[in-house]
Amino acid sequence: MNRCLDEATLQSYFDGELSPSMMERATSHLAMCTNCEEAAREIEQELMLLTSALEPEFESAVPTERLQQRINAAMLDLRVARAAEIKPSTGFFGSLSALFSFSSARSLGYASLVILLALAAILGFVKMRMSRVENQNLQAKNTVQNDKQPTPEPVATVTEKSPIKAGSPIIVEKPSPIVKRSGTRHVERVAPAEAKVKLIPGERSYLQTIAKLDTAINSDKNAMRPALQVEYERNLAVVDRAIAATRSAAKSNPNDPDAADFMFAAYQSKVDLLNTIADARLGGRSH
Amino acid sequence: MKLFAGCVVLGLILSLPGSAPAKIKNKDLNVAEKVERSTTVSPQVTLTLCVQSGTISVRGWDKNEVRVTSNDADDIQFRRIDKSKDPSSPAKRIDVMVLDEAKAKNRLDCQALADVNMDVPANATVQVQTRDGDIRIVGVAAAYAGSQNGDITIERASKLVEAGSVGGSISLRDSTGRVTLNSAGGGVAMVNVRSSNSEDTIDVGTVSGDIQLDRVSNSKINMKTVNGNITMTGPLAHAGSYAFTLMGGDLTLKMPHDASFTLNAKVSERRSIVSDFALKYLSENPQSPPNPAPKELPAPKAGPSTPAPKVEPPAKHTPVPKVEPPAKDVTVITPVIVAKPVISSPYILRRFNAICGTGDATISVSSFGGSLLLKKL
Repeated sequence: MNRCLDEATLQSYFDGELSPSMMERATSHLAMCTNCEEAAREIEQELMLLTSALEPEFESAVPTERLQQRINAAMLDLRVARAAEIKPSTGFFGSLSALFSFSSARSLGYASLVILLALAAILGFVKMRMSRVENQNLQAKNTVQNDKQPTPEPVATVTEKSPIKAGSPIIVEKPSPIVKRSGTRHVERVAPAEAKVKLIPGERSYLQTIAKLDTAINSDKNAMRPALQVEYERNLAVVDRAIAATRSAAKSNPNDPDAADFMFAAYQSKVDLLNTIADARLGGRSH
Repeated sequence: MKLFAGCVVLGLILSLPGSAPAKIKNKDLNVAEKVERSTTVSPQVTLTLCVQSGTISVRGWDKNEVRVTSNDADDIQFRRIDKSKDPSSPAKRIDVMVLDEAKAKNRLDCQALADVNMDVPANATVQVQTRDGDIRIVGVAAAYAGSQNGDITIERASKLVEAGSVGGSISLRDSTGRVTLNSAGGGVAMVNVRSSNSEDTIDVGTVSGDIQLDRVSNSKINMKTVNGNITMTGPLAHAGSYAFTLMGGDLTLKMPHDASFTLNAKVSERRSIVSDFALKYLSENPQSPPNPAPKELPAPKAGPSTPAPKVEPPAKHTPVPKVEPPAKDVTVITPVIVAKPVISSPYILRRFNAICGTGDATISVSSFGGSLLLKKL
């Protein structure tokens, strides 16, 4: 061998992967070629460095190439043998029976599945109990509210679709009603019906007038300049506070006509204010 | 070449200061341009004028002529709107059209941004409106004035005054006749106002503005405020009727020492009633009547010029003073000072009926949350 050894051959030389004849020739060449000897020394040093660095890894059993070949051959034999065993039970039942053949990996999967199902069952049970307790509390609260309500008087209702402003003190939002089915513990929610608000007799006409004026003003709020808007909202807040206070007094003193008069005076002030704003917003001549 | 460029730059620099004053001069010339129009009118002419922004000043004079001037307007026109068969006869109704440069092309009404001065016959009726500016009217028969945020001042009106403002104040002085003043946020002041006949009433309303009356001798006065204070100073009209409705403010009546009146007061139990006058206490029923008779409820009163919604014509809800027959066993209290500390207790209304002197005038007070003070001048 007069040609110099390439790196791959040198690597195989040190790995012991060369055939005996090739190993003999490589050894003789290295003895007489200083260049190859130098290259071989470098590779050897690198290998030594690598070996010392990966010594822990090399300590674990790493199959050699021959061992790997033997393992592959054994696995192939095993597959052929199993295919021969399974062959009579192919089709649906075959696949079904395959599900119940407990190999080590499959048994681990089945165990995981069983644990997951158990956890889900526990969670579901806990949640069901909690919702039942909540429904019972809600039902008890509703019963108390119904007990607190006095005997119904002739009341007017204001629907939630009413155009009256949200800032108005008479708007009361009720929770969605709960209907209890007789004979069962099942409680279900129904669609929200009209929110009933008790109005003091005579209050409705004021609210309707205010709603009309309010709608007219809000229909084109851009027509209102900022200065007018600020003044409007400032005074509206004052009037609304007065309405809230007088209404509270009128409600707490239902037999006092003067208390109701104060409330109506406050409402009239709001009507006057809205009229003033509506007029001012439009401007123009009025003949 | 360098010398030439230097000369050009120097010339440009020197020419800059000279151009600025020229611009200002031109601008000043535009501002100083004055538009004036005049026309012969009937002595009882009715004039309307409205601008978007600007001060309106109206002055009554002893001529049957209308003269309108403005420094800001581009044009002023008179639009006769009375249906006279004879076109040569003096106009009885005129719309004064003020057009500024920006709006002149479109001829939009009430859009001018201009200060306007107007001289009108002393018996004229003027109706003026501005959005942002102030209004001053002096020496006319009847005045209708409206401003969103400006102040309104009216003097020497002889027959009628109606004024309304959203945020501005209203002042009326030395006038006679029927008066209606409304302001949402501004105050209302009246000085030396009297009636020309027995039907001349004064109606004043505010939301948060204060109301001050000084020497107002109309025989029927209604005042209403939501959160303002009311102060009335001066003698009471013989057999006059005074009604005050307050939600949160105080009412102070400063009257001569010989004032004669009947007082029907409804004041919150939590607020005080202080009187410098010797009042004959007629009755006081702090508790509500157990079963009051069914009462007709007031309907909301919508304004006369409500724009969009057609509101049902309202029923007039005037507080009727409840004058109870004099009790046989009259308690005389000299003077009455009923002071109640402000405590947080449930709402209780104090009804207080008293008489001072022979009880000529009737004072009705409905105060939801304010005090009542009767003071001697």
